[in-house]
Amino acid sequence: MLINTVILFLRDALPIFVLVVYLYVHLSATKLWLVLCVVAGAFLSLIYINQIHVIGQWFDGKGIELSLWIYQIFVYLLAVVLGYGLNQNQSSNKHSLNWVAGLMVSLTLVSKGSNFVLYFDGYLNQSNAIQSMLLGTFLGLGICLSLAILLYLTAQWLKQRLGPWSTWLLVLIYVTGQLVNALPLLVQVDVIDATATAWSSQHFVSNEFEFGHLFNVLFGYQAAPSIAQVIIYVLALFIPLVVFYSLKLHSASHSGNK
Amino acid sequence: MNKPVNKIVGITALFFGLFCQSLLAAVAEYHIQLKDHLFLPSQIIIPANQKVKLVIYNQDDTPEEFDSFSLNRDKVIFAKNKATIFIGPLQPGKYDFFGEYNPNTARGTVIVEHQKPKATDAN
Repeated sequence: MLINTVILFLRDALPIFVLVVYLYVHLSATKLWLVLCVVAGAFLSLIYINQIHVIGQWFDGKGIELSLWIYQIFVYLLAVVLGYGLNQNQSSNKHSLNWVAGLMVSLTLVSKGSNFVLYFDGYLNQSNAIQSMLLGTFLGLGICLSLAILLYLTAQWLKQRLGPWSTWLLVLIYVTGQLVNALPLLVQVDVIDATATAWSSQHFVSNEFEFGHLFNVLFGYQAAPSIAQVIIYVLALFIPLVVFYSLKLHSASHSGNK
Repeated sequence: MNKPVNKIVGITALFFGLFCQSLLAAVAEYHIQLKDHLFLPSQIIIPANQKVKLVIYNQDDTPEEFDSFSLNRDKVIFAKNKATIFIGPLQPGKYDFFGEYNPNTARGTVIVEHQKPKATDAN
């Protein structure tokens, strides 16, 4: 039970920690923002879990997969909005961007946090499991916090050296990874047929190992990705980059003409 | 004059429709029970290069998450409930799966072999 709890934290809590850290650095957000996001996300998670049996019955039993996929699409689109806000570079945008980032954290908390609620709800009433679960929770939280601090320092350093676009790029890479990670959800309920594998690096870094877990969270690493995953990854990553770069060039040439 | 043609077209369409429907419905089902945090059967043999449907019944009082890195599948099965997962087409080999909440006991393997498709039932 101890190891299970630690692994659960690595798989489902670490993505939340990573996103929160990236956004916290990117927006130079306040602690109040952080608290509000977590409370809102926890509240939405409880609502989602409360209705998960009903959602699970939707679309011939595909409701959970479809809802989680839609959450990831929203999180990705919100990250693109963050990039657009950065492109606009207006100080009045900061407030609305904080809301966008807050919504990203809340949605991620719903999709990842619901797993925790299910796990703890199912096993907390087993008296022999409580001690090891608590210990596993402390260990898992410790690992997540340590990695979050390392990422915070790295993101701060990048922002100071290369500016806010670097931290937005970290966010974009993260959300693209999560979007691609969610694609097998649609395959497993037969909504799409995307099973052809692009390559296999299982022997180098397996998804079962610690580095596989970490890389999966940071940039959506898959040891054996499908061709569809690779195509979506490339498109989701490069289209916003190309669009924002063109917009930046365009606005620079306009301001140069004036 | 067009009546025989219509009949032939109608029969062909009906035959084609039935044939297509049978093709679409030809996804073999494999049933697994989860009891006392154990998958039964723990080994399932499925045909290579074919999509199959796994139906997993959780008979325990606690939820479980069917998880497999090699199959790239991840699905919560609520207590006293069932879940359906499609896997494949797969190359011959062994693909491990486990229950994320009880990975020490809830373990199993999907063995993919070249064979004629044949649905099995753990019941």
